Amino acid sequence: MAERDTLDRWRQYDWQLIAAEPTEPHMNLALDEVLTLQVGQGLRPPTLRIWGWSRRCIVLGRFQSVRNEVDEANAAKHEVQLIRRISGGGAMFIEPEGAITWSIYAPEEMVKGMSFADSYAFFDGWAVDALRELGVDAWYEPLNDITSSGGKIGGAAQARRGGAVLHHTTMAYQMNIPLMLEVLRIGQEKLSDKGIKSAEKRVGPLRQQTELPRDVIIEKMVDFFRDRYGLESGVLGSEDIAEAEALVRDRFGTRDWVYFLP
Amino acid sequence: MFYKGAYKTPGGKLVGVRFTQRDGLLSEVEVHGDFFLYPEDVLQTITAALEGAPADLEDVALTNRIAEAIPDGTEWLGASPDALATAVRRALEGGPIDG
Repeated sequence: MAERDTLDRWRQYDWQLIAAEPTEPHMNLALDEVLTLQVGQGLRPPTLRIWGWSRRCIVLGRFQSVRNEVDEANAAKHEVQLIRRISGGGAMFIEPEGAITWSIYAPEEMVKGMSFADSYAFFDGWAVDALRELGVDAWYEPLNDITSSGGKIGGAAQARRGGAVLHHTTMAYQMNIPLMLEVLRIGQEKLSDKGIKSAEKRVGPLRQQTELPRDVIIEKMVDFFRDRYGLESGVLGSEDIAEAEALVRDRFGTRDWVYFLP
Repeated sequence: MFYKGAYKTPGGKLVGVRFTQRDGLLSEVEVHGDFFLYPEDVLQTITAALEGAPADLEDVALTNRIAEAIPDGTEWLGASPDALATAVRRALEGGPIDG
């Protein structure tokens, strides 16, 4: 896509930022749904939200099976909460200071005429450029990965609701690979030293690649977004929180939802 | 006794399937994976298309059975009817698993 067209698509809106607060895993998912619907209804301008994580968790993709992805006994032993998001894609093991996650909520018209696949690259483009400015040799790898010469950095997933697109991306800051291999079943048969070394080679966490504190990377990414597209402060009000809490109670926090595919 | 199989589309995502058999027909089917699907509830339609499918159905016929069930306007990224049919065939080839 032409650079001009990309810029125009972003700059047609007055973007707002919701900054990171430590948030319960289920609430992060519920807030994504609440904010997506609000943007779809025109109740809130298009928004960038930086996530805060309050505790360890595994985030399953919408269509993944618990028994295929998670070692539940080990997850329980290490107090890793199990949650399921509304978007597809793969399972992630999250530790609060180990990941940088952000969401974009935008009207669907923003990606009008674009294929679903192209819209992934479109929403992640600014983040790739921001990482490059931090000195990381990063690029986008379809369908949904941000990768680099130093290894894979992160992945994106999308959902669409009520005329809006939710695009969220998680990037590795610092990885606890031994624990990840204990709680996720990805190649658990490879739990040898060799397995851990090969997993370490495939990923390129941002701490290792930038030697910057996590907060500084987030700040620089937000600055990059603001400089390029404009960004004002947005607010999460008590009504928004209450709405998300209701969603946690009725759906995200229920066994039926998490074990939708057992 | 159940069957399970998976297939990863090159450059795409993994689709997995788990089912039992009753009188030579697939039963209690579950379809899962790290693919993307819009709208999301088409997963139930895809799963229903496999439910009751004869286990001896040829790959092409199974692929068509899945493809025909998927409504127009569906976006299935990273997997396909063909990939799912391959996962089913692999599950059958792998034989029944105790449990």
